[in-house]
Amino acid sequence: MQAEPAKQAAADSDSKYDEDIFDPSLNLEETHVKEGYKDGFHDGLVLGQQEGREVGLKVGFEVGEEIGFYCGCVDVWNSAIQAKSSCFTPHVQKNVKQMEELIKRYPILDPENESVQDIMDSLRAKFKAVSASLSISSSSSMKLEYDGLLKSSGANDLEF
Amino acid sequence: MELIDGNLQLKEIQKLEGHTDRVWSLAWNPATGVAGIPAMLASCSGDKTVRIWQQTPSGRSSGSWDCKAVLEETHTRTVRSCAWSPSGKLLATASFDATIGIWEQIGNDFECISTLEGHENEVKSVSWNSSGSLLATCSRDKSVWIWEVLPGNEFECVSVLQGHTQDVKMVQWHPSVDVLFSCSYDNTVKIWAEDGDSDDWHCVQTLGEPNNGHSSTVWALSFNSTGDKMVTSSDDLTLKIWGTDRQAMNDGFAPWKHLCTLAGYHDRTIFSVHWSREGVIASGAADDAIRLFVENKDGSIDGPSYNMLLKKEKAHDMDVNSVQWNNTETSLLASASDDGTVKIWEFASVP
Repeated sequence: MQAEPAKQAAADSDSKYDEDIFDPSLNLEETHVKEGYKDGFHDGLVLGQQEGREVGLKVGFEVGEEIGFYCGCVDVWNSAIQAKSSCFTPHVQKNVKQMEELIKRYPILDPENESVQDIMDSLRAKFKAVSASLSISSSSSMKLEYDGLLKSSGANDLEF
Repeated sequence: MELIDGNLQLKEIQKLEGHTDRVWSLAWNPATGVAGIPAMLASCSGDKTVRIWQQTPSGRSSGSWDCKAVLEETHTRTVRSCAWSPSGKLLATASFDATIGIWEQIGNDFECISTLEGHENEVKSVSWNSSGSLLATCSRDKSVWIWEVLPGNEFECVSVLQGHTQDVKMVQWHPSVDVLFSCSYDNTVKIWAEDGDSDDWHCVQTLGEPNNGHSSTVWALSFNSTGDKMVTSSDDLTLKIWGTDRQAMNDGFAPWKHLCTLAGYHDRTIFSVHWSREGVIASGAADDAIRLFVENKDGSIDGPSYNMLLKKEKAHDMDVNSVQWNNTETSLLASASDDGTVKIWEFASVP
């Protein structure tokens, strides 16, 4: 009866010894994973912030440039309308007024606001409508266009 | 599934040759074919011109169509679509050169009196509203533009409508109400109406796959004579019939819903569809054939059903791009094809 516990204890100490031998090799993978993760996270954070700053600067510049362009156009058109209201048709004047309201509503300090894309799309559409009307009424072939630093390019579909 | 009525036929009256490239689209002048004025047809082509064809006053079914004028040296690329104003006095042409030409007949010639610019790329379609006061255009740039016709044939851009996510293939005004319909490569049909107070145009309904809509490019749409039904044709090989409440629609706008799908009749893309005054639907497809459909008079409780009246195989040597019924001489049908020809057909009983 007494021999068994001893045998058990010997067996236990044997398995414990086994655990100790293999533990480090198992842990080796885990420790390396942990270390790699830590390094990656740190580097990623640095790179992420750097890229975020670059992208933010680029997008911010583009948005600012475009909004500024429309703001400038609206200011000039409003001055023209004030000087001689008959120079622009009621439709054009209405579109200019709507552009002005859109610019005021644009959340320039809140880039994550959901309405930024909608407002920009509406501004672009109204600008096209006004410049199309103006280029018809002036018989010059000059076309008013917004040429930002980044020009959007459409995909080349087949002609149908 | 094929119901061919042996008593009816589509007889080829004449083949109109002259274009040097594929013919994309056709339009009958609505002020002709009546009161002694011989029917007049405009066709537009990849050869950058528009041809005006007219019947000589004497003959009707005797193959007497001549080319009256060629509208050239204006568009610098393919002319994709053309439409006459309701008065028949003006012709609007939509071109891949991103402009729209407005032409007026002066004596025996047609003169381009205005060019509308604004679209970023290929203009695909042009349509006049029922009173001729508004013009709608659409383009590969995914937008739909509405222009107002001012005195002295001046045009002003009223609205630029964004909403489609792909190339817009066709625009059509409703036959009696100023509500605009557009169909696109994005598989949807969009309906645009003016907001009563602010005079702003916006999308009031989209007919897409969730509403039993098409599962591929919608190429064309056409209304029945009473304006309460519409047929659409698609790359998904089906024609779909849509309907609305006639009274409510005439009051302004009422939502449209899917009524019926005609499947199994076409095995290639259906490029064009047109609903005649008499209620016959003509389709032109990529298999070179023209098919005619009509509503089944013994309608089922579930809604209207349609039967194919006849199929004209090899109507052309290549894809049929456009089919158009004449609205005054209602048995005349014109078709245009990639083979560069226009054909005039007569739909009648076999003698």
